Amino acid sequence: MLSSIKAKIITFYIAILFVILSVLGVLLYLSLSKIVYDAVDSGLLSRAKSLATLVDSDNSKTEFEFSDEIMWEYNSPKPKSFFQIRRLDGFTLEKSASLKDSELPFSGKEPRTYFKTILLNGTPTRLVNFHAPDEIENMSKNSGNGLIIQCAENIQNQLNLLKRYRLILSLSILSIMLISASGGFIISRKALAPVKDISDTVDKISEANLSERINVENVSKELQTLASSFNRTFDSLERSFNRQRQFAADASHELRTPLSVIMSQSEIVLRKERSLEEYKNALTAVMEAARMMSKIVRKLLTIARLGADKVDLKIENINLSGIIRESVNLLRPLAEQKGISINILATEPLVICGDRAALLELFTNLIDNAIKYNVPQGKTNISIKKETGFIVAEIKDTGIGIPEEDLDKVLDRFYQVDKSRSKESGGTGLGLSICNEIAKLHGGRIEIKSKLGEGTIVTIYLKGNGSEAK
Amino acid sequence: MRISIVEDEKSLADIIKKGLEEEGYVVDVAYNGEDGLFMAENEPSDLIILDIMLPIIDGMTILKRIRKAGVKTPVLMLTAKDTIMDKVSGLDSGADDYLTKPFLFDELLARIRALLRRNSDVKTSIIEIGDLIVDMATHEVKRGGKNISLSAKEYALVEYMALNKNKVLSRTSLTEHLYDQDFDLDSNVIDVFINRIRNKIDRGFYTKLIYTVRGAGYMLRG
Repeated sequence: MLSSIKAKIITFYIAILFVILSVLGVLLYLSLSKIVYDAVDSGLLSRAKSLATLVDSDNSKTEFEFSDEIMWEYNSPKPKSFFQIRRLDGFTLEKSASLKDSELPFSGKEPRTYFKTILLNGTPTRLVNFHAPDEIENMSKNSGNGLIIQCAENIQNQLNLLKRYRLILSLSILSIMLISASGGFIISRKALAPVKDISDTVDKISEANLSERINVENVSKELQTLASSFNRTFDSLERSFNRQRQFAADASHELRTPLSVIMSQSEIVLRKERSLEEYKNALTAVMEAARMMSKIVRKLLTIARLGADKVDLKIENINLSGIIRESVNLLRPLAEQKGISINILATEPLVICGDRAALLELFTNLIDNAIKYNVPQGKTNISIKKETGFIVAEIKDTGIGIPEEDLDKVLDRFYQVDKSRSKESGGTGLGLSICNEIAKLHGGRIEIKSKLGEGTIVTIYLKGNGSEAK
Repeated sequence: MRISIVEDEKSLADIIKKGLEEEGYVVDVAYNGEDGLFMAENEPSDLIILDIMLPIIDGMTILKRIRKAGVKTPVLMLTAKDTIMDKVSGLDSGADDYLTKPFLFDELLARIRALLRRNSDVKTSIIEIGDLIVDMATHEVKRGGKNISLSAKEYALVEYMALNKNKVLSRTSLTEHLYDQDFDLDSNVIDVFINRIRNKIDRGFYTKLIYTVRGAGYMLRG
C-alpha cells in the first residue's frame, strides 16, 4: 500500500496534519481549563474572604455571626458549597452543614493561600485554604493564633463541560483529518492523472502497435521528460523488434527453397521403388540443400548476434595491415586457382581498436568476393591509408562489377545480384550484410563503387583511434 | 498434358520435373525469368508453374506480360513469398493458384489436376465418356467395368483427349501436349499411339469412342 505515491503523499500529509491539530487541541483545552479553574478559584477565594469578614473575634474567643441568607448556600439539600474554619493548628472551629460528617482535608503544611482539587464523598471538588485575613491580623498576633478558612465547591459541572469540550475537540480533529484525507486523495489523484494517462498509453502499446507514441505536447510540463524518455525507449524497442521480425521473415523465406528441395526430393523418390543410383542422387541433393540451410542459419545467427545491442566484442589494439595479410593468406589458394594476383599496398602499420575475429571475418568476406566475382587472371589491389578520424581500406578488383541499379541494395540482407551465379558459388546473400554490421560496430561504414564489366571498389571506413568502437 | 516450370533453384526445378514426368506429364523447364518468358510466350503448354523471385525478369513481370499478350494458360505461382499481400497481388496479376514453399508434392499434383480441369467441362477428377471412365487422380482407365492397362504416354494421350472430349484435336496439338520442346513435331508418332489406344479401348466393343476426322485429327466421343 505504501509503495504507491498517492498513499505516501496522503500518509505524510495526514501525519503532519495530525501533529498540528493535536498540539492545537491540547493548547485550546489547557487554556479553557485554566479559564474554568481560574473562575472557580476566584469565586472560592472571594467567598473565603467574605467569610473571614464575618468572623467576629474577641480577644480570646472567636465567634461567628452568619446570617441565614448566607448559610442557605451552604445548607441547601443538594449542597454545592462547603466551608470549614480551623485554627492554625487544624482544630475545627466551625463547618458548614453541607459537610455533614465529612471534613475538608487539612494537613497544616499547605502554603497560606492554596488551591487543590479533591474528591469529597466521591465528587470532584475544588478547595481553597485561606489564612485569616489582614483585618484580624492584630487579633492573631494577640492570641498567637490565626484562622484558616477552607472553602470548597463541587466542580462536577465544570469538569463535565471540559470533558464535552475535549470530546468536541477530538471529534473536530478527527473529522478535519478525514475531510483532509479525502481532499488529499482527490488532489493527489488529480495531480497523478497525467501519470495515469501516460501509463494507459504505455499499456496500450503492444507488439501490434509498437509505432504508437505518447503525445508529448498533451502532457503537462513536469512529465514531458518522462513521456519523451518513454518514447525513446519505445523507439529503440521498435527498432530491435523490427530487426527481429525482419530476421525471422528473412530466415523463413531463405530456408523455404532448400526445404522444398528436401521435401520434394524425398517425397518423389519415395513414391516408388528406385535404383540405387536414384537414391544416391536424391540423398546428395537432400544433403546439399541441408548444407545450404545450415550455412544460411549460421550466417543469420552471426548477423543476429552482430545486430544485437550488446555484442561480445573483444576490443584490443590491432594492426590492420596484419589482419589484411592474414585474410589474404587464407584466400591465397582460391586466388591461385583462378589465377588472380593480389597486391597489398600498406606502407605503415596502422593500429585500430577492434575485435580481431570480427575484422578478420570482414576482410576475408570482402577479399573472397573480390576473388569470386573477378575475371580469370584478374587483379585485386588492397590499400590502407589514414584519413581524418578514419582508417580507410580499399579493395579494388577487376571483376564483373555490379549493375548500377543493384549498388544500393547489395548491402541488404539476402540480396544477390545474380542469384543463379551466387548459388553456384555457394553464396547466401548475407556476406556483405555481415561486413556492413561489423564495420558499423567499429564506428565505420562500407562504400561500394562499381562499373559493370570493369570492376568494383569496396571502401571500408573504420574509426581511426578506435577507442570509441562500441 | 504439358507443363512448364520456371524456377531458378535448379535442384528443385529438376526434381519437380522428374516427379511430374513420372505422373505422365510432359515438362519443360526454364531456370531464369528471360527463358521463362520466352517459353511461356512461344511454347504451347497446359499449365505454367512460376516462381516469383527469378534472375533477370521476376515472375510477377512474366505473369503480367503473358497475360497482356493474351496467353490464357493457367498459371500456378510456386514461391517462398507467403504473406497475404503477396498472394493477393499474385492472384490479381493473373495467377490461377498460389502455392507457398515448402509444399507437399501431392498437394502440387492435386492443384495441377484442378487447374487442368478448369479449362475443360470436367469438374471432378473422374471423366466419363460413354462407358469409358478415366480417373485422373489414380490414372486408372476402365471400360465396361474392366481395367485397361496403359503406358504413361498412352495414358497421357487418353487423359488429354478425355479432358477435351467431343472436340477434334489436331496431330500437332496432340504432339505439343504430349512431348516437350525438344521433340520433332513432324513425326507421325501420334498415329502410332492412337492405334495402340484404339486397340486397348475400342477393340471388342461395338461402340467406337475414338474417331478419326479426316484432314483434321482425332476425337474422343461417347
